[in-house]
Amino acid sequence: MVEVRNLTKRYGTKLALDHVSFTVEEGSIVGFLGPNGAGKSTTMNIVTGYLSATSGEVLVSGKNILDEPQEVKKMIGYLPEMPPLYMDMTVKEYLNFMYELKKARLPREKHISEICKLVKIENVYNRLIGNLSKGYKQRVGIAQALIGNPPVLILDEPTVGLDPKQIIEIRTLIKNLGRNHTVILSSHILSEVQAVCERIIVINNGCVVADGATDTLAHDLSKDHRLLLRAEGPEREMVHALLGLPHVVDAASLGEKERGVFEITVESEPDADLRRDVFALLARKGWPLLAMKNMDLTLEDLFLQLTSGDAALHHSSGEASSDEAEEAEQEDTV
Amino acid sequence: MVKEMKAIFKRELRSYFNAPVGYVCIAALAALYGYFYYQVMALGSTSYIRNVYGTLFTFGMIVIPIITMRSMTDDQKNKTDQALLTAPVSVTAIVTGKFLACWFVFFIASTLGLLPPVAMSFFSSPAWGEIIGNYLGTLLYGGAMISIGVLISSLTVSQIIAAIGTFVVSVFLMYIDNLASAISNKTVSAVVSWLSFNSRYTTFTQGIFSVSATVFFLSVMAVFLFLTARRLESRRWN
Repeated sequence: MVEVRNLTKRYGTKLALDHVSFTVEEGSIVGFLGPNGAGKSTTMNIVTGYLSATSGEVLVSGKNILDEPQEVKKMIGYLPEMPPLYMDMTVKEYLNFMYELKKARLPREKHISEICKLVKIENVYNRLIGNLSKGYKQRVGIAQALIGNPPVLILDEPTVGLDPKQIIEIRTLIKNLGRNHTVILSSHILSEVQAVCERIIVINNGCVVADGATDTLAHDLSKDHRLLLRAEGPEREMVHALLGLPHVVDAASLGEKERGVFEITVESEPDADLRRDVFALLARKGWPLLAMKNMDLTLEDLFLQLTSGDAALHHSSGEASSDEAEEAEQEDTV
Repeated sequence: MVKEMKAIFKRELRSYFNAPVGYVCIAALAALYGYFYYQVMALGSTSYIRNVYGTLFTFGMIVIPIITMRSMTDDQKNKTDQALLTAPVSVTAIVTGKFLACWFVFFIASTLGLLPPVAMSFFSSPAWGEIIGNYLGTLLYGGAMISIGVLISSLTVSQIIAAIGTFVVSVFLMYIDNLASAISNKTVSAVVSWLSFNSRYTTFTQGIFSVSATVFFLSVMAVFLFLTARRLESRRWN
């Protein structure tokens, strides 16, 4: 549905995006994750046609935004980082204006009132936008993106400024929208992306550093696969026996944690699952297994690792000049 | 194209009257029209309408920058341009819609300037041909100035800078005749005086409907709207 190919953006000599490529399939919710200044907003601004790329191209359902800008823009609903609201209009006037601007061909009254119900802004419908709280402004921004029922929704940090209850509401809303829309949402909050998205693209310093399904991303990208176990038995013999198992790279004792109970880490080859073999071994030997834990990186560890400088962890493409992209991004948001 | 332009025109026009700026500009111009009618007719006891409209050139010069200063700057500052530029709308429609809204404010003010002659028509018979000619001239000159103001406001995010910039340009245009006469090279002098707004506007104040002046003002509008649209487009390439 949305295809981004080798997107590069320079602000003067500053490189904000460096050959960013990804594809988003129809009907999926993809999270765009990255620290502040990573290039999230720049990417979104280019996909929606607000900015142009220095090189690379964007295709929305096969159409290039440079060749058919109006057709492509019609298919995208965009909530920028700062909702583009006219403070001197009422919610009603504003949504009607956006309806006309987007050349929507739906029953106007019904369409707008449905959207208002969906994002829960019916009670402020006749109020001036300038007088609304930040949470309501954000919702009007989301409402605006939904007008015309575009198949693709691009939401730049949609829950910023909302209170915890509203955040949950908006996340539920986005999940529901994901059923019949293609949603790309950006965030620097990991838990949010984890809660809402099926797939995560991590971006840092203008490069895509990780891309995968939310559930398996951490496992796939962890560079070491370790088991941590506690078992009751003779320390040396246990370590020795574990080392004898196939696919085991290393095993070491971390010392006695309870009387007669030792904590042992076992490192396996990548793509090998040792848990069953370990259990069987210890059971055969009569050493009670008291605890076993997979020591894969959590998504959070991974995110920190990916974005904290040594981004070359897995993808060698992560070698952009870091400060430059960051500054450029800041410049963009001023 | 026309539909989106209408939407933008309506929104812009509304924003003039949601804030006091629209009322202030209209009231100021209408008051000045009224005063000059009074001064010329009653105190000067002359019926030459050109004396009224002749001075109004200067007042248009002051009020037009106030009308145009916010047309492009606000969108950029409040990031509402993101809504406009990511909507399926051409930049030409955006720029034209905004220009027409500014021009319409000026149109209301100028039309209110017709009130004194209407009042006078109860007691005597004003020379309507001359008055309408002057009125059209004002609208054309105003439109050309507004198109320049809209371009200048697209170059900056500051309303003040946009207003002062437009003001400076209109003062320069006012003195361009003097400049032309000071240049000794005939060709350069001819080119400079060709640019004059004032001399073309004066034709209208004499009660002459000049087709060439009309075409000139309309072309100025077209050129500056084109430049503003390009400017808006070029912002994407920063």
